[in-house]
Amino acid sequence: MLEIERLSVSYGGLSALREVSLRVGAGEFIALVGPNGAGKTTLFKAISGTVAPASGRIRYEGRDLVSAAPSERAHLGIAHVPEGRQVFPSLTVLENLEMGAYAAAGRGGLERSLERIFALFPMLADRRRQLAGTLSGGEQQMLAIGRGIASLPRLLMLDEPSMGLAPTVADLIFERIAELHRDGGLTVLLVEQRVAEALQSCDKGYVLETGRIVLEGPRQALLADDRVRRAYLGM
Amino acid sequence: MSVGPLFLAFFQVLIAGLLVGAIYGLMCVGLGLIFGVMRVINFAQGDFLMLGMYFTFYVVSAFGVFSFLGPQAAPIAGALLAGPVLFAGGWILHRLLISRVTGTRAAAEREAGQAQLILTLGIALILENGALIVFGSTPTAVHTPLSWSAWMIPFFGGASSVLFVNKARAVACVVSVLIGAALYWFIGRTRLGKALRAAADNSEAALYMGIDVDRAHSVAFGIGTGITAIAGGLVATYYTFQPYVGFDFVIIMYAGVVLGGLGSILGAFWGGMTIGLVQQLATLVLPMQLQNAAIFVVFLLVVQLRPQGFFGRSAERV
Ligand SMILES: Nc1ncnc2c1ncn2[C@@H]1O[C@H](COP(=O)(O)OP(=O)(O)OP(=O)(O)O)[C@@H](O)[C@H]1O
Ligand SMILES: [Mg+2]
Repeated sequence: MLEIERLSVSYGGLSALREVSLRVGAGEFIALVGPNGAGKTTLFKAISGTVAPASGRIRYEGRDLVSAAPSERAHLGIAHVPEGRQVFPSLTVLENLEMGAYAAAGRGGLERSLERIFALFPMLADRRRQLAGTLSGGEQQMLAIGRGIASLPRLLMLDEPSMGLAPTVADLIFERIAELHRDGGLTVLLVEQRVAEALQSCDKGYVLETGRIVLEGPRQALLADDRVRRAYLGM
Repeated sequence: MSVGPLFLAFFQVLIAGLLVGAIYGLMCVGLGLIFGVMRVINFAQGDFLMLGMYFTFYVVSAFGVFSFLGPQAAPIAGALLAGPVLFAGGWILHRLLISRVTGTRAAAEREAGQAQLILTLGIALILENGALIVFGSTPTAVHTPLSWSAWMIPFFGGASSVLFVNKARAVACVVSVLIGAALYWFIGRTRLGKALRAAADNSEAALYMGIDVDRAHSVAFGIGTGITAIAGGLVATYYTFQPYVGFDFVIIMYAGVVLGGLGSILGAFWGGMTIGLVQQLATLVLPMQLQNAAIFVVFLLVVQLRPQGFFGRSAERV
């Protein structure tokens, strides 16, 4: 579904990604882990078009993504839940979800999407008229995810959805993401600092360090890998 | 019962304040929309107002396009037509020039803020001097019989106590309120309006939703230009103008927008209204020349006491 080949990105001469290659098959759950500054967010931004690649290719459902305008990519079925939630603070919860459904795919099905989102996160249903900027951090994260799936995407990209959340809330979020993948058949690309949780639920994982993929493999292989166990799982 | 002359004078300026306040409010809404969505300080806003005035003048007085509507309605029709025409002008201006230093293209560049100021200042100078060449420096006005007539409202019965309501200003006030309300509905309720607000809140996240942020900015810039041009056309029915008339109003517009709380449409309207009221009420106690000084005193007081403006919400500043 998504194929990234030898992708390099640099910020004013400093390289952030070096020849990164990554494949996401339809229906897969892919985890991408790595330390701070590894380039995970940069990779997501390159997929969404808010940073331009220096070289390399990104293909999505067989078409070249780099040549598509950034605002077109959501319409192709890609949903990006950005790092740090980035909800629209002066819009209400409901309006945020409507904006999530801005891309054509979601528009027709807004009613159904809303039902699904409110079933997933009942807290949002009670607060639909509240300004998103006044939600708690956990509620904002739920809203950011809800906004992401409101477009009925085929590929859901989540950048550190557990950041800054209490463990119980983070667990709930992970559970919901796994549910979306398992029951909704959604293809998921997840970036996480909570490596154990991320690797537990994925089909396949990638480890990114200082702009390079240093390790990749199916869940079992990564969980059993010595380097992963020492560096990320604290074992 | 006869009413004290001071009391009568008070109500007289109160009405005058409400009438000009509504038109100031409309101007402020135009500027506020541009600033709120794009975060661009637009020096040329006063000149869009000026263009709206000349457009109305040429369409109505020089070419008599709307003469079939009669002398009362023609200027209003001319001012309303200035809206879509200057919307197109603003839209093109944004596409060709402003978008080069704002929006997604500028997000990556560090000095974009300075480039924006210099560009809009340059546009302002070109518009003013271009207008001077094309229209000349002779002060003009859009003539309408309404300018010189007023409704007389008996005040507390007495034959000598009458309130005068200038018809041109009253009509301009009603039109301003209607257009302001329409814009409020558009921004608050329509899909495109919500997308504009989303792009204003967080343009990067808006892109991830599939909102074409640059196009949203073109629309906002066009609407902001068109709205201010309509306000200009309305002002032209009771105010004499020349190519530099923008100066008279641009300060009022900025003060109104800041008073109302940057980024709030409703706030911008009330900010403009406040300025109109202060300006007129000041005439009761201050000489004419100090009207604008009164505006700034009130402005400084409000900014001191409530820096986020009347309608600024702290939630928007996250
Ligand atoms: N806009 C930018 N300008 C310059 N350098 C940047 C910019 N954005 C990111 N970088 C740099 O690129 C590198 C990768 O950053 P990125 O945000 O992709 O890391 P990350 O893996 O998401 O880290 P974290 O886990 O902390 O979110 C970092 O060294 C960062 O400093
Ligand atoms: Mg990151």
